[in-house]
Amino acid sequence: MTSLAIAGTLHRHGWCYSSGTHMTDLYIARTADTPEIDFKFALNQLNITGEAFPEDANSFFYPVLVGLEAYLKNIDNQDVEFNFNLTYFNSASTKMLFNIFELLNDSACSSNRVTLNWHYDEDDDTIKEFGDDVNEDFPAIDYHPVVTYLA
Amino acid sequence: MEIDLFNTFQDDAGKKGIVFYYSGGLSQNVIATMGDILKQRLDNNDAKGSVTKKLFSSFIEMVQNALHYSPLVPDSSFEKIGAVAVGKRDEHFYIICGNLVDKKYVSRITEKIELVNSMTRDEVKLAYRTQLKNENHNADEVSKGAGLGFLTLARDSISAIEYSFKDVPGYEHEYSELHLKTIF
Repeated sequence: MTSLAIAGTLHRHGWCYSSGTHMTDLYIARTADTPEIDFKFALNQLNITGEAFPEDANSFFYPVLVGLEAYLKNIDNQDVEFNFNLTYFNSASTKMLFNIFELLNDSACSSNRVTLNWHYDEDDDTIKEFGDDVNEDFPAIDYHPVVTYLA
Repeated sequence: MEIDLFNTFQDDAGKKGIVFYYSGGLSQNVIATMGDILKQRLDNNDAKGSVTKKLFSSFIEMVQNALHYSPLVPDSSFEKIGAVAVGKRDEHFYIICGNLVDKKYVSRITEKIELVNSMTRDEVKLAYRTQLKNENHNADEVSKGAGLGFLTLARDSISAIEYSFKDVPGYEHEYSELHLKTIF
C-alpha cells in the first residue's frame, strides 16, 4: 500500500516536469486570517481558498511567490490551472495577489497555458470587479469567472 | 460598574443602534476575533450580503491601520490601543475607529484623506489600480502596507471619509487621537 502510493507520487513527478526536476508541492493550512494555499505542482493545479488579512502580508505571501516562481520556471508547454476561492483579502494582500497574477501572466506569455477559475459570490462586487481588472491587466491568462456560493 | 449602570449602558448602546463596540488593546488576534463576531452580528441585523462584505473590508482596513500606525502607549504596558464602534443609523451602517497617531503624521494623514475625498468614484477606482501597479511604493518608509488603505475605504463606503484629530492630555506635542468614520 505504502510503496504503491510512493510509486504513484514518483510517477506523477516523472511525467509532469519535462526538465525532470523534482518539486515539492506547497501546502499551507488555513487560519483565521490566512488562506489555505494548496499548490499541487505535480498536477499543475494551484488552489487558494479562504480569507487573507495577515498582520504582515509580505511575509505570508513571500514563500508562496518564491515557490510559484520556481515551479513556473521549471515547467514548459503545460496546462496550469489556478483556482481562486478567496472571499476576502485586505489591501496589502491584494498587492501580493497582483504579484501572483503577474508571474502567471509572464509564464502564459512565454511557455505555458494558464487558466484562472475566478470563484466569487454574486453579492461580492469588489471581488467580481477585481477579477475583471485582473482579466484586463493580464490578458495572457485564460480568465473564467464562476459565480458560486463560498462560505 | 454597578449592575444597573451596566443595564443603562447596554440599553443606551442598543437604542443608539450600536451593533459592535470594542475599546482596548489591539493585536492581530483581537482583530481576527472581532472580525468573526462582527460578521455574526451583521448577519443577525439582516445586513445585506453586499453591505456586510464592504463593511467587513473597511473594518479590517481601519483596525489594521490602527494596529500598524499607532504608537506604543508610554504609560500602561506599552501596548497598542484603539477603539472601534459599528452602528446603524437611518438604514445605513457606519464604522468609527479611534487610535493614537504620532503628531508628526497628522498633516500626512490629513493630505491623504483630503485627496481621496476629493475624488469621484471612477477616480478612486483608477487611483486604486494605479497604486496596485506602483512598483516604487516600497520607497515610502512610513507606509507598511500597499498604500491602498484610504482608497479601499473610499471604494467601500458611500460617502466621504470623516475624520478629526484631538489632543491627548499630557502628550500634546507627541500624539494626536485620530477618529475616522465611514458610512455604508
